[in-house]
Amino acid sequence: MSEYILELKGITKIFPGVKALNNVQFQLKKGEVHALMGENGAGKSTFIKVITGVHKAEEGEMFLNGQKVDFKGPRDAQAAGIAAVYQHPTSYPDLSVTENIFMNHEIKKHGIIQWKEMNKKAQEFLDELDADFKSTEEMGTLSVAQQQMVEIAKAISTGANIIILDEPTAALTANEAEKLYEIVEKLRDKGVSIIFISHRFEDMYRLATRVTVFRDSQYIGTYDVDKITNADLIKAMVGREISDMYPKPEVEFGEEMLRVENLSRVGYFKDVNFNVRAGEIIGLTGLVGAGRTEVVEAICGITKLNSGKVFLQGKEVNIKNPTDSKNLGIVLLPEDRQKTGLILSWGLGRNVTLPVFDRISKKGFCDEKKERDLSKKLLEEVDTKAVSIFDPASSLSGGNQQKVVVAKALAQDNMKVIIMDEPTKGVDVGAKAEIYSIMGELAKQGYAIIMISSEMPEILGMCDRIFVMCNGHITGELTRGEVSQEAILELAMEKGKESKEEVVS
Amino acid sequence: MENKSIWKKITSSREVSLLIVLVILCALITIKTPSFLEWANISEILKNNATTMIMALGMLLVLLIGGIDISIGSTLAFSGMTIGIMYKYNHLSSTLLGFLIASGIGIACGLVIGLIIAYGKVSPIICTLGTMYVYRGFAYLVANDEWAGADALGTFKDFALKDFLGINSAVWITIICYVVFFIVMKWTKFGRNIYAVGSNEEAAEISGINVRLVKTCVYTIMGGLSGLTGALMTCVYASAQPNMATGKEMDVIAACVIGGVSMTGGRGSVAGALIGALILSVISKALPLVGIDALAQNTVKGIIIIAVIILNVVTQRMMDKAALEKREM
Amino acid sequence: MAGKSGRTIANTIDQPWKKVVLSWEGVLVLLFIAINILCVCISPVYNVENLLRESPKYLAEMLLLFPMAYLLILGEIDISVGSIVCLAATMACMASNAGVPFIGVVLISILTGVVCGAFNGFVTVKFRELPTMIITLGTQIVFRGIAEIALGSGGSISLTDSSGFKMLNGKVGIFPYSFFLIIICAIVFTVIADRKNYGRKLYAIGSNAKTAYYSGIKVKQTIFIAFVVIGLFAGLSGLFLTSTAYGANTTTGKNFEMDAIAMAVFGGVSNMGGKGKLYGAFVSAFTIICLRIGLGQINVNSQVILIILGMLLICAVLLPNIAGMISAKKKTAK
Repeated sequence: MSEYILELKGITKIFPGVKALNNVQFQLKKGEVHALMGENGAGKSTFIKVITGVHKAEEGEMFLNGQKVDFKGPRDAQAAGIAAVYQHPTSYPDLSVTENIFMNHEIKKHGIIQWKEMNKKAQEFLDELDADFKSTEEMGTLSVAQQQMVEIAKAISTGANIIILDEPTAALTANEAEKLYEIVEKLRDKGVSIIFISHRFEDMYRLATRVTVFRDSQYIGTYDVDKITNADLIKAMVGREISDMYPKPEVEFGEEMLRVENLSRVGYFKDVNFNVRAGEIIGLTGLVGAGRTEVVEAICGITKLNSGKVFLQGKEVNIKNPTDSKNLGIVLLPEDRQKTGLILSWGLGRNVTLPVFDRISKKGFCDEKKERDLSKKLLEEVDTKAVSIFDPASSLSGGNQQKVVVAKALAQDNMKVIIMDEPTKGVDVGAKAEIYSIMGELAKQGYAIIMISSEMPEILGMCDRIFVMCNGHITGELTRGEVSQEAILELAMEKGKESKEEVVS
Repeated sequence: MENKSIWKKITSSREVSLLIVLVILCALITIKTPSFLEWANISEILKNNATTMIMALGMLLVLLIGGIDISIGSTLAFSGMTIGIMYKYNHLSSTLLGFLIASGIGIACGLVIGLIIAYGKVSPIICTLGTMYVYRGFAYLVANDEWAGADALGTFKDFALKDFLGINSAVWITIICYVVFFIVMKWTKFGRNIYAVGSNEEAAEISGINVRLVKTCVYTIMGGLSGLTGALMTCVYASAQPNMATGKEMDVIAACVIGGVSMTGGRGSVAGALIGALILSVISKALPLVGIDALAQNTVKGIIIIAVIILNVVTQRMMDKAALEKREM
Repeated sequence: MAGKSGRTIANTIDQPWKKVVLSWEGVLVLLFIAINILCVCISPVYNVENLLRESPKYLAEMLLLFPMAYLLILGEIDISVGSIVCLAATMACMASNAGVPFIGVVLISILTGVVCGAFNGFVTVKFRELPTMIITLGTQIVFRGIAEIALGSGGSISLTDSSGFKMLNGKVGIFPYSFFLIIICAIVFTVIADRKNYGRKLYAIGSNAKTAYYSGIKVKQTIFIAFVVIGLFAGLSGLFLTSTAYGANTTTGKNFEMDAIAMAVFGGVSNMGGKGKLYGAFVSAFTIICLRIGLGQINVNSQVILIILGMLLICAVLLPNIAGMISAKKKTAK
């Protein structure tokens, strides 16, 4: 009997044109929580898919309890007791929670599905996880955190003894993540082995005993969590040292650029007030679902305000749609780069000029030459890792895609206020630092910046003032220097506590 | 508490609200023409609309996986015409065999569509646009400038005239189809896999469901049902022509849409398809009864489709708004 | 703020001509030539003059191709255009028979088309949750239904005075007027799609409507305009169709939408939105028309032609997909 419950050796996986995994190895002990870290594109997700049988590796061997196994498809992995909770919840929004849990291993009698029994069993799994919803509810109506819980229940329901969590905390707020940690610990104590993929160092320190690092499709090493320093780990992941993560420049603030008064949208937020000056970076933070994104989307005219006033440089403006906002110089860098920030199938150049091609055009004819020159200049300015402006946006990593989105904002020469919604979500450590430095540069140039983020370190590191939102209200304003993580958390959960407890009981 | 949840169930279930619409519709027509609810009349409606009702089942499956099939009218004509000609030239005399051959042709047609869509990754509308031409062309080729009339069909057409336990045999086929599909869609793995594929294809793949196989099966079933109705239509109307059922696909899609089946996949039920088809049938039967010119039938039908889908969106928006207003802040 | 790494990004393409020749449009041109050679070989009467003589009814259909291509690029679809053609033709005939001067007839026909298109556009834009397939499925039935009511129990109408329409049917040499109209439309629509702002908006919305909206592009306006334009052209198509048939009936324009979609898709315009070139659609339309006329001349059954067209359409999408899959497999094998 091997020491390891799962062991992979010399795994190589090739996709058309790229080696996604190059001779990597991995060992998982029984009952341990093992973190798998690495930058985006390091091959972590592919590796997981090899373990779960979704992809078949070209080379390499896999041992389960010391026995060589060869998975032909996801079914084989499932049967062998391996279950995965993927990064994007892979749920069926139109179906009930029960069905989501039991998909493809339904309880049947003579080929007929036993709904009653399944509902009961599903409820038992949910109760075990302290879930605050019923198994008969429709998946699509649940929050992201709740959906994640269903995914975990699904993994447990297959009787898995190896559970893989792929960035489970990415969409969760601090206290939701805490709940997840507890669940993971509970599972570990039951003898389940867990592979945990995450960008968050907090996750790793909180849970894992060992960590394996991948970089550029290759295996870098496996370390004991309590024996490796943060800096060494970053170095292992990025391949170089990052000296200054948050290069916040000292900027003299100019005039007030944007002020909002008593903004309200029924069901999302109420009486929101804040302002931002030229050269200033303000943070808008709070739990996911507190209404942060909704506030900025309403300011930019993407959704409708029910009441409230928006002042740009002291003058009241009426923004009815994103076009108005663009023309006034308020630019939003949306949270979901792939769905709302970029046209993935297009080249980088056209993505950059998308908001401005009609301004550059002559008599309604697009000026391709001018567009190419402009996009080349801007993409180089933000230091995008690309060969040509005709590379499709889909070919870039998350961090570089974010840079293209920044270049797209910079193309708008009338830009005054720049709103960045979760600018570093899904961005790896190396690129994160670059994006912060771009933000610093922008502030220096006198733009007013609003940053929405759930990540405490970047809010603390980059913002001059921090507005904390909770349940649709601004619960506090904090100034740089006087803030602590605890103070923010307290404000972020101020009013949420009551309602949360209500739901639980 | 119990009462409240039942009431909630009724108002939130699309099928139930549609059923209420159907009942009100029938009641209104009955007030105007009391003969409407007589069994003979209902039986006539069911018999004449058996084709739409049966094909609505197949279309339900196709729409559930996020597809569409606009070639079903052509498949129907091809299979109906083939057996029509076979009866005419006495290659065939058995009624059962006729149904089997027609269904077989339909299954083959559907299988081709399924393979092209599932394995060739051609978008459903384009693929079935192509097969709509091809199968219709086959129907004309088989017909070879002829058609099969009542005398040519011999005993085959008698099938639709026969009653069994007081119910017309064409209606029996419809009932059997609905019962089978109801069970399959609700209580079998295959049925639930169809919902899974429609709700989230990628997730279905990861759960180990053979998505391509499910897709192929769905289009094959659709084809099989089209073939079956080809035979049914031939015997109900006692004639087979190469241009039969032109535009039928639109009726069938309309029935599903009225019945609350989502065009983007994942949502819809057998009961919904049934009620949708029934509402459509009742309306077309009722228009002359309430004094609307037969010429205006299509216009009314179209307006109803548009009204239903718009109403659907409007109520959804209102429900969302009400939910938001309730949210405590 | 210059890039720290000093990395440069190219802003020119290598060998741009190669991209054009190796594209689907390049294949289509070859196919067009091949089909013409084939037609000349099989039909003794296949020449430009005969081709043009038989072309008007196809040309009327082709008028719908370009605006349909716009809608497909937008990721929308309009399956009600055939019915709009029918309604417009009916209205034109009725107006003409009622003694309206010809210019009035033209206006009525076009106005009918525009109103119908605007209705489709309005519903599409107001209720973005609904797929246009289903909206236009409804209006398809309604528009033809209105024509059916207008035509009455006879189901058809003939022109009593066709002098105005005869004018539309005129020719310059051997070229019918509608031929020039098509050429002009092809150029205008292609230039708009490739060079003008509106065209860029089409592709942006078709590729990712949300990103386009967030980037400040007027999505609803763009879509609405496309629907009005296709309505307008359906009105025109109805006029030209009336001028070749000297009347209208309940089946006028039936399946036009399907033919237009088929031509566009065969020309490489994807119905998934954001992809395809207008000139591809143009070449594909002429290829199909030449094939139809050529096969028709040697008395190939019109239904057989339908079978061939259907298969061509499927193959046009299927074969590149299969080729792509095979090459992907080969690459992994290496």
